[in-house]
Amino acid sequence: MLVKVLKNIKLAALIAAVFVHGPLFAEPMDSAHDLMARMAKASKELSYKGLFTYEFRGNLTSVKVVHLVRDGQTYERIVHMDGPERELVRRGDDMDCMRASDMLLRGNVLKINDDSYSHLQDFYSFYIRGDARIAGRAVSVVNVIPKDKFRYGYIVAIDKETGLMLQSILINSQGKPMERFQFVDVSIGADVDDVEFTSALFSSEISASDDIDVDQSDCLKANQPVNVSSSQWVPKWLPPGFVLSSYQPVDAEGQESLMYTDGLAVFSVFIDYAEKSRLLPPVDANLGATVAVLTKTSLNNQQYAICVVGEIPRSTASQIANAISPLLASPSP
Amino acid sequence: MSDHEERLAESLSALMDGESTELETHRILKEVGTESGAKDSVLSKWQRYHMASSVMSGDPVANIDFSAAISAAIDEEETHRINPIQRFAGSAGRFGIAASVAMVAVLGMQQFNTVAPSSSDAVQFAEVAVDAAQQNTGPAIQFPSGFQPNIQARTVSVGGNNRASQQPVMPAIQVRPALNQQYSEQELRAYLNDIMLKHSSHAALNSNQGMLPFARVTKSQEGSSIQDAEGSYTKGAEGSSTQDAEGSYTKGAEGSYSNGAEGSRDD
Repeated sequence: MLVKVLKNIKLAALIAAVFVHGPLFAEPMDSAHDLMARMAKASKELSYKGLFTYEFRGNLTSVKVVHLVRDGQTYERIVHMDGPERELVRRGDDMDCMRASDMLLRGNVLKINDDSYSHLQDFYSFYIRGDARIAGRAVSVVNVIPKDKFRYGYIVAIDKETGLMLQSILINSQGKPMERFQFVDVSIGADVDDVEFTSALFSSEISASDDIDVDQSDCLKANQPVNVSSSQWVPKWLPPGFVLSSYQPVDAEGQESLMYTDGLAVFSVFIDYAEKSRLLPPVDANLGATVAVLTKTSLNNQQYAICVVGEIPRSTASQIANAISPLLASPSP
Repeated sequence: MSDHEERLAESLSALMDGESTELETHRILKEVGTESGAKDSVLSKWQRYHMASSVMSGDPVANIDFSAAISAAIDEEETHRINPIQRFAGSAGRFGIAASVAMVAVLGMQQFNTVAPSSSDAVQFAEVAVDAAQQNTGPAIQFPSGFQPNIQARTVSVGGNNRASQQPVMPAIQVRPALNQQYSEQELRAYLNDIMLKHSSHAALNSNQGMLPFARVTKSQEGSSIQDAEGSYTKGAEGSSTQDAEGSYTKGAEGSYSNGAEGSRDD
């Protein structure tokens, strides 16, 4: 009798252990997703300024950043604090503009084509790793692990109070960190009104060449796919889960671009027929964790340079570059 | 006496001494079940052995077989029926335990696996896997006529005081002269800088990192300022390279992988 009772207790304990344990079960996963969605929201809607570091293979760069929201528009300025003087300004992006990655990070499902969809959860697993402290603030650390070899993983630290991302580490397939963004000091919300630094955002003091164009044509309206009707090119293969997020038709210099995201990773495809790019050799380069793979192809006796740039594994980039084909030559559109 | 019988006899005597293993006991029970009618059956042996044992120890001996009567008595007895639900519950319980153990093992492994990559961040950061650099030597097959410059050392030139690459660097990759006629090194760099900036601009809007991607990029600059910038990082390498684009291509980029932080990598 006693043995039987003991057995039952053991069984109950085991079952309890299974249920109490566990990333497999819905609750912790949901909150990791919630954190990511909150982060997506915070990065757009919060005003903040601070100093962050960018680290790559022993190189450390420090950068001052300010992000302001005024009247529904965002203003951003970054200044490199070491090395050659560099700064960039981006003004007047609509806060309500939802781009593909915003939608994906907030848990939406986007249509890629008639039979495939992009949904963040299908391509990454999210686990809350624990609490930490970054830039003097309490953060939750989330592990983002890719479910295939086509993309990298991340470790992100999200501010508990506001949802702002304070650290992002890119993790390669061997689980080793490749690059790291990390705030060392940040003030969020009301403290941001640093007149000296921010006033420049609203004046013409900063030369126009520092201005980054804000492209709002890629804002998604009612889940409509980005219009690529004028493109002559189509990728015959894309890593699963990547959705077209922006398209720039051929510009005056003979370059058109297609840009894709899966919500976290981003890559761009540039197709060039300008004289100068025609002479470029095939290239395989990287800048930080960003790879650039340039291949050549010809269409109607015209040489084209196709360049894939992104924070994706080199093998993925090469595969994409080799899969970009002229629309007309492909058997199916 | 066959092998089988011999083993059986051994098992039997072991059983009598209370020293039989489970296997032996089963062997005997099986034998009793199958050949109970045989002439020299296990049962008759069992009887004889016990008789001999009793005689030797001086116990009274009576050759009476109770087994038939006992069997009959058992047959008459009312059957204790097992409730099918109880039986199911019993086996389900057993299965439950096995399943729980398996689940714990699986979950434990999963937990372990997911935690493992993350345990590596800050400490290992300095010895980052240079897998991009390693792969860099690979894709030559895909680009047979090309080269794989790594523009990292040239364009991420903000390394401040990093003078690790002062010593002359051996050329890592040489480009065939025919190719050198077609483009200028600076054009290539300008082109890559340009698309890198465009990409970052796009990534800044589309990767939820705000302006962070711009930290990766150097501002698109004129050739001269690029030269200046890279001088601060791969000065030695630049010095040893020939200045003309047609000459041997000895950019410091590849060479610099053997310097600085990456050089300390030991795997």
